[in-house]
Amino acid sequence: MKALRWYLTALLLGLALNSPLASAHKESDAFLTLRTDRADLHTLEGQWDIALRDLDFTLGIDSNHDGQITWGEVQAHRRAIEDYALARLAIKGDGLTCAMRPTAQEIDDHTDGSYDVIAFRATCDKDIPATLTVVYRLFDDVDPYHRGIVTIRANGITTGAVLGPEDPVTTLDLRKPNRWQEFRSFVTDGVWHIWTGIDHLLFLMSLLLPAVMMRRRTDDPSVDPSWRPAGGRALLAGVGDAGGTWVALPTMARYEWVPVANGWRAFVDVVKVISGFTLSHSVTLTLATLGIVNLPSRLVESGIAISVIVAAANNLYPVVTQRLWLIAFAFGFVHGLGFASALYGLQLPPLSMAASLGGFNVGVELGQESIVLLVMPLAFLLRRTRLYRDGALMWGSVIIIALATGWLIQRAFDVLIPGFSAILPT
Amino acid sequence: MKPMRNPRRFEPLDPASLHPPGCRLAGLLIGLLALFSSGAAAAAAHPVPYVPGSPDVVLERVPSIADPRVRMFGSLRERLDVDPHNMDLAVHLANAYIDYGRSTGDARYIGRGMAVVGPWLQGNPVPIPVLLVRATVLQNRHFFRQSRSQLTALLERSPRNLQAWLTLATVEMVQADYAAANGACVRVAQIGGDFMGMLCTAQLRSQTGNARQAYALLRLIEDPGPNAPPAIKGYVEGLLADTAARLGRNAAADRHFRAALQWTPGDNFMLADYADFLLDRHEPGAARRLLAGYEASDTSLLRIVLAECALHDARAGQDAAEMQARFVAMARRGSLLYEREYAEFALYVQHDPQRALRLAERNWTAQRSPSDMRVFLEAALAAHEPHAAQPVLTVLARSHLQDPEIARLAAEALAALGGPREVSARSGASS
Repeated sequence: MKALRWYLTALLLGLALNSPLASAHKESDAFLTLRTDRADLHTLEGQWDIALRDLDFTLGIDSNHDGQITWGEVQAHRRAIEDYALARLAIKGDGLTCAMRPTAQEIDDHTDGSYDVIAFRATCDKDIPATLTVVYRLFDDVDPYHRGIVTIRANGITTGAVLGPEDPVTTLDLRKPNRWQEFRSFVTDGVWHIWTGIDHLLFLMSLLLPAVMMRRRTDDPSVDPSWRPAGGRALLAGVGDAGGTWVALPTMARYEWVPVANGWRAFVDVVKVISGFTLSHSVTLTLATLGIVNLPSRLVESGIAISVIVAAANNLYPVVTQRLWLIAFAFGFVHGLGFASALYGLQLPPLSMAASLGGFNVGVELGQESIVLLVMPLAFLLRRTRLYRDGALMWGSVIIIALATGWLIQRAFDVLIPGFSAILPT
Repeated sequence: MKPMRNPRRFEPLDPASLHPPGCRLAGLLIGLLALFSSGAAAAAAHPVPYVPGSPDVVLERVPSIADPRVRMFGSLRERLDVDPHNMDLAVHLANAYIDYGRSTGDARYIGRGMAVVGPWLQGNPVPIPVLLVRATVLQNRHFFRQSRSQLTALLERSPRNLQAWLTLATVEMVQADYAAANGACVRVAQIGGDFMGMLCTAQLRSQTGNARQAYALLRLIEDPGPNAPPAIKGYVEGLLADTAARLGRNAAADRHFRAALQWTPGDNFMLADYADFLLDRHEPGAARRLLAGYEASDTSLLRIVLAECALHDARAGQDAAEMQARFVAMARRGSLLYEREYAEFALYVQHDPQRALRLAERNWTAQRSPSDMRVFLEAALAAHEPHAAQPVLTVLARSHLQDPEIARLAAEALAALGGPREVSARSGASS
């Protein structure tokens, strides 16, 4: 026979006439282990063992092609290995993606050879969740028989799954549904969200600071005979005037701040503002988390910045004087959409969803109230001082407007104002 | 008469007869391991990570470009990257990977071959060459029934596809459907010519009571000329060796095995086949020497453990523990490709005939070659459940396989069943 014919025959025989396969090695496996960290309930410690032979096939670890992989060659490819592998893995706690960061590189000896160990930390948005989802796509384009053997140790439970290209997703129950625990975990989340969400806080402050004062109209002679015409005086020229600061706009009514006589009036105002805000943001938070309402975050975040500007500007150029809770109520809808970003992608069974959403809402309320309890008594005590009236109320509002304008520009136009984030990161 | 692999008498029950002395050490260790099997499994699954002492430490050996096959992968891969829609190129590369995986025993290359043709598997209809790759991969992964249905469908579309007929013949043989295998071999002869036809039919006849005929046929094509590549010569020598062993011509078998390994040095399957032969001939020392340096291969390590047991080698316990760890690791991934080897391990090393029998039964649903028959029969006898081996006896009654060991085991099983003392498998030398 001709050589080519023989070559084809050899190929046919090699492929076809097979006595039962005698495999020297099992097929490709990788081992992924996730452990909860007792010290930090938001964090999972990950260890991912991937065979050096597989990594060499895809990334070419054996740089000098001598058929031997040395530790030096593995170290030289650390970044490439981590980038390649971690891009093909997603870990989600209750549907929320956890951020993964590699922490170390080691070696493990398995029964079929040496494996590169990627030690990493996965930080989830909330406490160790009820369900952990692992989406595993390693080598799904180079070996359909690759398997990822996943082991999860959390809360004293060990559970696991075998994943591969045909079956890349697993959701593991880390604990029996404990609604109370779920609720509490989300309460904590809600509290933190409001405490760390400076834009929400400033919005509330802008509405609450005036609560210990009342505005008296100064352009009505029957109310205040000492009214003086503005005469084109600039806004800030009024600051520091004896007998009450007032604000002037040529075509608008004029007011001045007068401290409230007793706490009751201030208290009622605070309750109204808080209730209005709560009512509306609860509605949109629920709608957005359930996926019924979905607005681009750029729009929502810009809306929140505008709400802060409006609330603070109202202290300088009063438009709404009596019913401040209306501002709180109206803009609460936008803030609710903003809160929902913390829960974006949350997927839970209905009862857990109710517990989580309720808990988050309660947390947001508790966060608000704690700040109110901290600030308002102080404001009440200081309401008669110039420091409060001019410093906190007037200049405070000016600073808030400046900050919120910065946010608005950044968020609406997706630009970074140099140095701005350094003053006040959001 | 192989005291180690094949205790001659199972009656009367004498536990010592089931525990060849050489394996007591290993048996003890394995027993302990089994007691703490969860711990052993955990240890196998969770080794302790470490940082190597120096950058020069060699951690792994991988195919080097000194190997011409690896250089061919590289150039094919590069051409495919430039021309990713070239199906012929992809099929070529896939077949090269699969062939490499088979001869080296590195099962990873089977999956890598499959991945290369992945894009064309989405097509409707799937192109014939791609279907063939898939059928070959299924066959290699012991999904024989799926492979057969793919091949049957393929041959309806392309009735003169030689490789498909050859693959089908092999699949039918492994499934012990000898009539279907014969039909496929006839088609191979019609399409592929005398050489291919003789090779196919000789392999079949060797398993179906016509070993002498098969041997004669194979001798006719033993020297296919200087142009024939070593892989073909090695393959023919391997078939000659198997057939000679069935005929009881041990010296000739030994010669053919060595010739086969000269043509295809280090061929993983041939090493295991030859080692089995040596172990059966009570030459564990030779088997151990043959496999020295091939410990990384699972199939080789199993034979090494068996040889060390017979040799009372001190390494037996450690190697058996290593083998056990590898089986645990394989079981963890959920696709145990070689249950026959696992059954052999359970029977000959762990001395757990019940477990071995369950494994052999499961293995029988996938493959029914003579080696599968043998471990099934031995496990059934050792477990005192001869009726469990009825499927093997049924096939033997049909195939008239010549194999001295299998004949003896089958006779024993029939006797234990109290059935007609019809010896289904005949002693090879007397046929």
